[in-house]
Amino acid sequence: MITVKHLEKSFNGHVVLNDISIIFETGKTNLIIGRSGSGKTVLLKSIVGLHEIDSGEIWFEDILFNKLDFKEKKKIRQEMGMLFQGSALFDSLTVEQNVRFPLDMFTDQTLEEKNERVNFCLQRVNITNANNLFPSELSGGMKKRVAIARAISLKPKYLFCDEPNSGLDPPNAILIDALIKEITEEYLITTIVNTHDMNSVIEIGTNIVFINEGKICWEGNKNEILHSDNEVLNDFIFANALAKQLKMHVRK
Amino acid sequence: MIKFLTQFGRYFLLLKKVFSRPEKPYVYYKQTMHELLYLGFYSVGITAIISFFMGAVITLQTAYNTENPIYPTYLIGLGCRDSIILEFSSTITALILAGKVGSSIASEIGTMRVTEQIDALEMMGVNSASYLILPKIIATLLFFPILTLLSICIGILGGWAAGTSAGVITSANFIYGIQYAFIPYYIVYSLTKMLVFAFIITSVSSFQGYYVDGGSLEVGRASTKAVVFSSVMILLFNVVLTQLLLS
Ligand SMILES: Nc1ncnc2c1ncn2[C@@H]1O[C@H](COP(=O)(O)OP(=O)(O)OP(=O)(O)O)[C@@H](O)[C@H]1O
Ligand SMILES: [Mg+2]
Repeated sequence: MITVKHLEKSFNGHVVLNDISIIFETGKTNLIIGRSGSGKTVLLKSIVGLHEIDSGEIWFEDILFNKLDFKEKKKIRQEMGMLFQGSALFDSLTVEQNVRFPLDMFTDQTLEEKNERVNFCLQRVNITNANNLFPSELSGGMKKRVAIARAISLKPKYLFCDEPNSGLDPPNAILIDALIKEITEEYLITTIVNTHDMNSVIEIGTNIVFINEGKICWEGNKNEILHSDNEVLNDFIFANALAKQLKMHVRK
Repeated sequence: MIKFLTQFGRYFLLLKKVFSRPEKPYVYYKQTMHELLYLGFYSVGITAIISFFMGAVITLQTAYNTENPIYPTYLIGLGCRDSIILEFSSTITALILAGKVGSSIASEIGTMRVTEQIDALEMMGVNSASYLILPKIIATLLFFPILTLLSICIGILGGWAAGTSAGVITSANFIYGIQYAFIPYYIVYSLTKMLVFAFIITSVSSFQGYYVDGGSLEVGRASTKAVVFSSVMILLFNVVLTQLLLS
């Protein structure tokens, strides 16, 4: 369980996150949704400690994470997997080496054991015959999937995904959504996913928070989200004309 | 001035992070081997070329400036040797390497910063500064002195080739000249300078790359700054070290 209390973050006086308090539950896919620029990425990076926060508390179980020093954070970080919005694969390493990197760094497994794990992870994200390619030789969607494989290679307790399926074709987007949900429930991971893809919201949104202009605007689950009266949220979900008309129709 | 001092402070904080205990020695060893190849071995070619031509020019210039029957011609060989050992094989080679290696280090690390690869390392709990920079520092400290020795040999060879083929000195006189009144300490001096320069090039360039903020434009700027700052520092430390080591 990850608990965020009264988190505030600004860049040079420009407030990006304003008094955010959320509880992310274990074994559930916790979704953060919001428009582009609403502060989703900043929130995720603040939680994992890549951004220094201005005030507030971030608890991993019963540990106050944001007050730990580098060495103490390091221990918890080895239990985290993160998928960055831009994939962030290591350019100088092949696909296989990228996925194996956390294993090389933090385990004493033999090369065989490591490669077995690597192939298993790659298979789960539907990447085959690409082990020896470099990231520059992959498509955007393939990079994303390799990055997910890297994020899960160490069997994390906490999984953070920044827009895992933007740029993927529908079948692969569904595959990735299903994978995230499946491993979250199977291994009891605390998963936080940033997205603005409504399909994922409906598919995997166990807990959902909607962020607007740096504040929490709505909280709930996938069953509640379609019936909410929150105007800002409705503008976000039913952004396109067809969806709006459907909603009107249902209301009548 | 305040900005300069903050930069200075950040530079030393980064160095402190770089020299903390590595988590997996084997991974660092592999990285160092990789950097030896890329930063060291791949610089042999350019070092050889500039050294050869520098040696050639020094010899010809010394010859034309001493066209006087009072000077024995073997002094041309001696002058060529000493200029190369004392100055060219370390300082000029270092300046060239600052251009080649410095800009490549800054843009490599800078690109990793703007594409979130450094964040990804930190996120996994890897000390990114140490993982990325320490192997480069070790590799250049090990390899650049070898480049200095190479530069001395090829420079003198270039001098001999130019001198004899232009007919300003006979082969025998040149060889006598380069052996005459040879002071081995000059080599030590030259290698010491190169060690310091290697550290300057790698650490300053890494620093510029590591703290890039923005996008590809800033990466370009960082790599220019890396070359400019490390060149200036090389020239500055050249004066300081010469005063310390030769006086
Ligand atoms: N490093 C930074 N320095 C200054 N401002 C930043 C920085 N990172 C983000 N911001 C600002 O914070 C705000 C939120 O950005 P963020 O990247 O979190 O948006 P997002 O919700 O992830 O959007 P998207 O869906 O497009 O990824 C933006 O206004 C952005 O300008
Ligand atoms: Mg984002």
